[in-house]
Amino acid sequence: MSTTAEPQLELRGVTKRFGGVGAVDGVTFQVERGEILGIIGPNGAGKTTLLNCISGVHRVDGGDIRWEGRSITGMAPHRVARLGIGRTFQIVRPFGSMTVRENAAVGALFGSSAARRGPKQAFEIADQVLELVGLKAKAGQPVSALTIPDRKRLEVARAVATRPQLLLLDEVMAGLNNVEIDEALEMVRAVHATGVTVLLIEHVMRVIVGICRRAIVLDFGHVLAEGEPEVVLRDERVIKAYLGERYAKRLRTERGQDSPS
Amino acid sequence: MAAFVQLVILGLLAGGVYVAVGVGFGLVWGVLNIVNLAHGALVIVGGYITWQLFTAFGLDPFLTLPVDAVALFVLGYALQRGVINRIIRAPLLFTFLLTFGLNLVIVNILLLIFGSDFRSVTPTYSGQGFEIGGIVVPYVRLTSLGAAILLSAGLAFLLSRTRIGLAIHAIAADRDAAQLVGIDLRHAYAVTYGLGAACAGVAGGLIAMIQAITPTAGEPYTLQAFVVVILGGLGRVSATVVGGLAFGLVEAFGQSIPGSGSVFANAIAFGLMVLVLVTRPQGLMGRLR
Amino acid sequence: MIATADSQRRWRRLFLIVGAIVAAYALLAPLTSLDAAQSANVPLLADKFWFRIATYVVMFVVMATAWNIIGGITGYAAFGNVAFFGIGAYTTGMLIAKAKWPFLVALPLAPILAALFAALVGLPLLRLRGHYFAVASLGVGVAVGELVQNIDYNGQPVFGGASGLFLPIYAVGHRGLFFFYLMCGAAAIAIAVTWWVLRSRFGYGLIAIRENEEAAAVLGVNTTAYKVGAFALAAALTGLAGGIFSQWNVFINQDNAFPIEYNVQMILMALLGGTGTVFGPAAGAVLLQLLIQFLGGSLPISIDLPFVSTEARPIVAQVILGLLLVVVVIFVPRGVIDFFGGRTRLSLSYLRRSLRDTSL
Repeated sequence: MSTTAEPQLELRGVTKRFGGVGAVDGVTFQVERGEILGIIGPNGAGKTTLLNCISGVHRVDGGDIRWEGRSITGMAPHRVARLGIGRTFQIVRPFGSMTVRENAAVGALFGSSAARRGPKQAFEIADQVLELVGLKAKAGQPVSALTIPDRKRLEVARAVATRPQLLLLDEVMAGLNNVEIDEALEMVRAVHATGVTVLLIEHVMRVIVGICRRAIVLDFGHVLAEGEPEVVLRDERVIKAYLGERYAKRLRTERGQDSPS
Repeated sequence: MAAFVQLVILGLLAGGVYVAVGVGFGLVWGVLNIVNLAHGALVIVGGYITWQLFTAFGLDPFLTLPVDAVALFVLGYALQRGVINRIIRAPLLFTFLLTFGLNLVIVNILLLIFGSDFRSVTPTYSGQGFEIGGIVVPYVRLTSLGAAILLSAGLAFLLSRTRIGLAIHAIAADRDAAQLVGIDLRHAYAVTYGLGAACAGVAGGLIAMIQAITPTAGEPYTLQAFVVVILGGLGRVSATVVGGLAFGLVEAFGQSIPGSGSVFANAIAFGLMVLVLVTRPQGLMGRLR
Repeated sequence: MIATADSQRRWRRLFLIVGAIVAAYALLAPLTSLDAAQSANVPLLADKFWFRIATYVVMFVVMATAWNIIGGITGYAAFGNVAFFGIGAYTTGMLIAKAKWPFLVALPLAPILAALFAALVGLPLLRLRGHYFAVASLGVGVAVGELVQNIDYNGQPVFGGASGLFLPIYAVGHRGLFFFYLMCGAAAIAIAVTWWVLRSRFGYGLIAIRENEEAAAVLGVNTTAYKVGAFALAAALTGLAGGIFSQWNVFINQDNAFPIEYNVQMILMALLGGTGTVFGPAAGAVLLQLLIQFLGGSLPISIDLPFVSTEARPIVAQVILGLLLVVVVIFVPRGVIDFFGGRTRLSLSYLRRSLRDTSL
C-alpha cells in the first residue's frame, strides 16, 4: 500500500481537548496522494473534531499536522483551504440567500490559491462542478428549494469548486437512503477520478467497504485499527469494542452470502 | 495605601447601583436573548416614580422601591406580552430596533409628563455619612449597596426556588423543549421581562437618590448594564453582582487617574469590556453557554 | 407566497420610475436658483430651506448605503457607525479650523482617518458576533464622542471641548447648491461602491460570511481581512459624509457630530429599503428622513397635530417615530423593499403572515 514518496497529509500525535476531555488524543496516520481513505467510528469517537483540526477550524492542543512535508498546525482555515484542502460539513451549511450556482461559484472564487479567478470564470467552474455532482439541472434554484440529498451534493460541489488536492468529506452519506447512498458513492468516485485525494469520514459501514482501499477506526479519540476495510471490520477488537455484537453478526452473515470464499 | 482603600470602598459603593442596573438586564438577555435597549428608560421610569412619591407624599425613598418594582413589573409584563413577544423569532437586529423604539417612546412620554428639568430626591439624611479611618461612607450609598445585594439575592432565590423560576431556567436552556413540557411560553417570557423591568425600576429608585435625573439620563445605564453583564458573565445573578462591583471599582480607579474626568472612566470601562469579550468571552465568573 | 414574475417586473419598474423621477427632480431643482435661471424668470424650486433639507436627506443616503456594506451585505449589525461620521467631521474640522487647510484638501483625509480607525477597532470588535458586536460597536460610538469632547492638553480642550468647533465659512458662490451637489457626489460614490461590491469577488466573500462564516473560511475566504475591509469601507463613506457636513454646517460639537440616534436611523433606513441591495438603503433614507423632517415640522408641507403645543411638537414627533419603529419592526420584518422590490404585495394576509412567522 504505502509508497516511498512523502505522504500528502501526515498527522503526528494530534490532540484536541475540550475542557480536559481528549476528544482527539494522540492520533497519528498518513494520507497517501490519490487514495480514498475512510475514517470510521461511533458517534463521539472524535471524527469530526479530527476534521476540524486538519482544516484549521479547531486549534490543536498537541501534535503536528503536515501537508506535503510542511507543518500546517495552527494555520487559519482560509489558508488551509488555499493550500488545496477542501472540506464539507456534516450538517450542511449552504449560503442560504444564494442560488445553487452562486454557492458553487464562491468555492471557485476563493479556495486553492493556485489560480485566482474572477467572477466570470468562477461561474464557469461552478457549472462544471455542478455537472460533476449531478446538480446541473438545479443550478438556478435557491438553496431553500433543494432536498436533503441535493444539499449534501451542493456541500460537496462547493468544496470541489475550490479545486482541492485533498477533499475531506464529513459524513456526506448520513441520513440518506440506500438508493441515495449509491448515487452519492457514484459522485465521490467521479470526484476522485478527477485526481482528488479523498478522506471520507463515515458512520455507514457499507460506504467504507464499498469505496475505500484503506480505513482507520477511531474510538474515544484514539486510532484503534488501520488497514483494508474488510480486514479492519473483521478485527475482533473493532467488532466487539464498539461496532456492537449484533452488527458484527449481521456483517458476518452478509459476507457469508456475498462471498462464499 | 489609605487612598487605595478609599478607592476600593468608593468603588464598591458605586458598584451597588451597577449591580441593580445589571441584574435585570442580564436576566432578560440571558433568558430571552434580548439585548434590551429600553432598559435605561425603564430605570428612569423607576426614578420618576420614586421622585413623585417622595415629593408628593413625602414618602421615604427607600420605601418607594417596592412600588417601583411592582409598577415596572406590570409595565414590563405588558410590553413583553403585547409587543416584544411578537418578534421573538425575528433576526437579532429587529429586537434591537424594537427595544430602541420602545426606548424612544418611553423617554419622550416622560419628557411630555415631567419636562426636561433635573429632578433629585433628597431625604433629610442625604449627604450624611459616617467616617471610619478617615474614609467617609455616605448612608445613602451604603444602603443602596445593601438594597442592590438584597435585590439580587431575592432574584436568585426566585429563580432557583420557585415554580416560575424553574420555568425561566428551562426556557433559558431550551425554549422549544420548555414548551414541550407544558410551560406557557408567552406568560413565562412576559414574567421574565417583567422581573427584569422590576429590577430596573428599583435601580432607578436608587439612582434618583444619588444623582439628579432627567428623562434622557437612562441611555448610559443601558450601556453600563451591558458592560456589567459582560464583565461578570452572562447567565447567573451572582456573576452580575461581581460584574457590577467590578465596574464600580474600574470607574473609581479610572476617575482617580490625574487629569481624567468621569468620561475617561466610561472609555476605560468600554475598553475593558472589549478586552474581556475578546479574551474571555464567558466573563470573569461565567461559564460559556 | 411567490408573486408571479410578471407582477414582480411591474412593481420593480414602477419603483425604478418613481425613484428616477424623484432623483431627477432633486438633482435639477437646484439649478433654478442659479443667477442665469433667475434672470430668465424660471420659477425658484429650491430655496435656502430646500437645500438644507435636501442635503440632510442625501447625507443619510450616504450613511444608510454605507451601513449596508457592513450591516446588510456582511451581516454584522454595526450600531456605532456614527463614530465614523464624527471622526470624519472632526478630521476636516480640525484641519480647516486649526491647521488652516483648504476644505477640498482636508476633505479626503476624513474618509481615510475614519477607515483607519475602523480597521483598528474592527480587528478586535469583528471577532465578536451577534449581540456582542452590536453593543460593543455602540460602545465605541459613544466612547469616541465623549473622548473627542473631553480630551484636554495643557488645560486646553484639543477638539474644541464642550463649546464645539467653529469653522470659517467656505467662500464659494451658491453655497447651498455647492454642498448639496457635493453630498450628492458622495452618495453617488457610495451607491457605485455598493454596486461594485455586489458584483465582485469581495462581495461574494462578504455575503458568504453573512450566510455562514465558518463555511466561508474553509472555502478560503480570509474572513478577518474581509470583515475589516467591509467595516473600513463603510467607515470611509460615512466619514466622507461627516467631512462634508462639518464644512457645510460650519459648527460641530458632540451633539451634531456624534448623535446616537443616527446609529439607529441609518439601520432603519437600510431595513426599510431592503438590506443587501444597491438602491434600497438610499430609498429608505429618503423616505424616513423626509418623514422625520415632516414630523418635526421642518417641511413646508406640514399638518398641525391636534392637542399638541408648538414646544411639545418635537417630542411628540419622537413618540410617533418610536411607535412607527415598533409597528414597522413588528409587521414588516423583511423590509418595505419586499413590496417595492416586487417579492410580494402589501396585503393584510402578508402582515398577518409576518406576525405569525416571528411571534412566540
